[in-house]
Amino acid sequence: MSAPRINRRQITIAAIAIAAALLPLGFLNNQYRLILLTTVMLYGVLTSAWNLIGGMAGQLDLSAGAYLGLGAFTTGTLLMRWNVTPWIGMFLGGLVAVAFAFLVGFPLFRFRIREVWYALSSSALVVVLQVVFLLWKDVGGSMERMLPYHAFSWYHLRFGTYLPYYYLLLVLLLATLLTGYYVKTRRLGYYLLALGDNEDAAEVLGVDARGSKLKALVIYAFIVGITGGVYTCIYGYLHTSFFSPTISMEVAILGIVGGMGIIYGPLMATVILVTGREFLRASLGGGLQSLYLAIYAVVLILIALLRPRGIASLISDYLAKRRSALNKERS
Amino acid sequence: MMNVLQIVMDGSMMGCVYGLIALGLSLIFGVMNIVNFAHGDFVMLSMYFTFFVGTFASVDAVFTPLVTMPLLFGFGVLTYYLIIQKTLRERFVVQVAVTVGLMSFLRAFTQLVWQARPRALPFSIIQGNFPLGDLTVLLSRLVSAAVSILAILGIYLFLNRTWLGRSIRAASDDVDAASLMGVNFRWTYAVAFGLGSALTALAGGLLMSFQQVDPTMGLRFGLLSWCILALSGLGSILGLLISGIIVGVAESLAMGLWDPRARSLIVYLIFVLILWLRPRGLFGRK
Repeated sequence: MSAPRINRRQITIAAIAIAAALLPLGFLNNQYRLILLTTVMLYGVLTSAWNLIGGMAGQLDLSAGAYLGLGAFTTGTLLMRWNVTPWIGMFLGGLVAVAFAFLVGFPLFRFRIREVWYALSSSALVVVLQVVFLLWKDVGGSMERMLPYHAFSWYHLRFGTYLPYYYLLLVLLLATLLTGYYVKTRRLGYYLLALGDNEDAAEVLGVDARGSKLKALVIYAFIVGITGGVYTCIYGYLHTSFFSPTISMEVAILGIVGGMGIIYGPLMATVILVTGREFLRASLGGGLQSLYLAIYAVVLILIALLRPRGIASLISDYLAKRRSALNKERS
Repeated sequence: MMNVLQIVMDGSMMGCVYGLIALGLSLIFGVMNIVNFAHGDFVMLSMYFTFFVGTFASVDAVFTPLVTMPLLFGFGVLTYYLIIQKTLRERFVVQVAVTVGLMSFLRAFTQLVWQARPRALPFSIIQGNFPLGDLTVLLSRLVSAAVSILAILGIYLFLNRTWLGRSIRAASDDVDAASLMGVNFRWTYAVAFGLGSALTALAGGLLMSFQQVDPTMGLRFGLLSWCILALSGLGSILGLLISGIIVGVAESLAMGLWDPRARSLIVYLIFVLILWLRPRGLFGRK
């Protein structure tokens, strides 16, 4: 009975992926729409990666900005100083992010820092990195550093259009989602979900809390670090504002209202909410500059209050209901 | 050497105001276990209210808390009933989502009303300074520190000597037992939340006597007060004051001797280190 259901699921996923791949072809002449799609895609990667540590393991991580910035600075600096292609740079950026995640995560999990204290210290680390790069004048400093301009260069990963970035991020997103599904079917995934549910109970049952959380953190940092490399190529500059506590919080919030631990949840929330936000920004932008943010914030609060388990719980509840109805019919 | 003494003195006076802000957070987190990420933005909002009242009625910043404290108390109670109460029984991530949403709402709201440029009040009667030996005492800081200490003392007496204060402490120890003793915990929680917010109004008024405000400064005050709370641990009001002073001194030492931009670095390093080395805090009771 389960074979056709999995097939149908695979078909759904493939259909969504193809639709996402075809979508920008409708807006080829409109760079604004393209950057909008690229932004949604970027947030999609970040929130889906966050789902590993935040959603599954239940560790409220607010340090996406740290790994994003590290990836961006590694990739950008290598390109500007030594003309190293971002294709290599972004993976090195991912590795730098992993090293940092390990350095931070090891003591954090070793000293059992959890819940609000984990969230706050991870948020503080973003600001620490921001200040460190602000003071480190050789690499950071207070001025923007511009990446070399190229109208269309695969080597430098610099393009005059957002289209290639969109596809690059789409590939990253699919890789992230597949990693999520893969982890979820492995022992690590079960450990993480158990930890997310009740950390003490999971530990009593023999779950290696420290190791599992550290693995999840490292995978997440690697993906976000790579994304940081792409990020700096998209925007064409480096600045310490990349270490943004605001982006970090936004990633976590989208992950929470999307549905923690549901693989497609954060992506769903991102697609709906970030698109909505950008639409509001475009339509309200002129007169009242931050009205769109106020509306967006109210929507986030309402979702969190009315659907504490997230938007995706609407779908998962529906699927569960249908499945039980089907089972009843059969028996 | 004189320079260092001066920095330490300025920092410790600033630290008293930080202690006052952290006390507000401690009432909210310590009593209800509510994770309020928007606390710093309450401070920011209070500073804007101070600016509004100060310019609208041309009142000195020091007297605005007379108006802004009831206002913020009401705002806190309203926030509690409208959104916080529904999250009491949820997992803490939901509280975080809601309060971070509140935080970005307040930021957008202040930006909408007062625009993004920094705002400051033109004058204050407590500006000026006087010499103390070789040191210079800034009157505004001195008054702020004194008022903060008095307010912290006032809260201490309120929590220990009045029925309402005792019921807040009882609810923080054990909600169920307190309810059985006739404490209406919902009302108690609302009062604690309102009181915590009202304290930010007092701090906001004091800060505005020597500082300007912009919509993004909430995060700094938020993390600062969490840091002080972590340093002090829950349950000790005097500990909060001392921790506030430690943080204030560390911050101004970093600014004065190293680099003005390094101040958040020092604060957050203290924060992370204290969490690693002494999670209960220096004066923690639980």
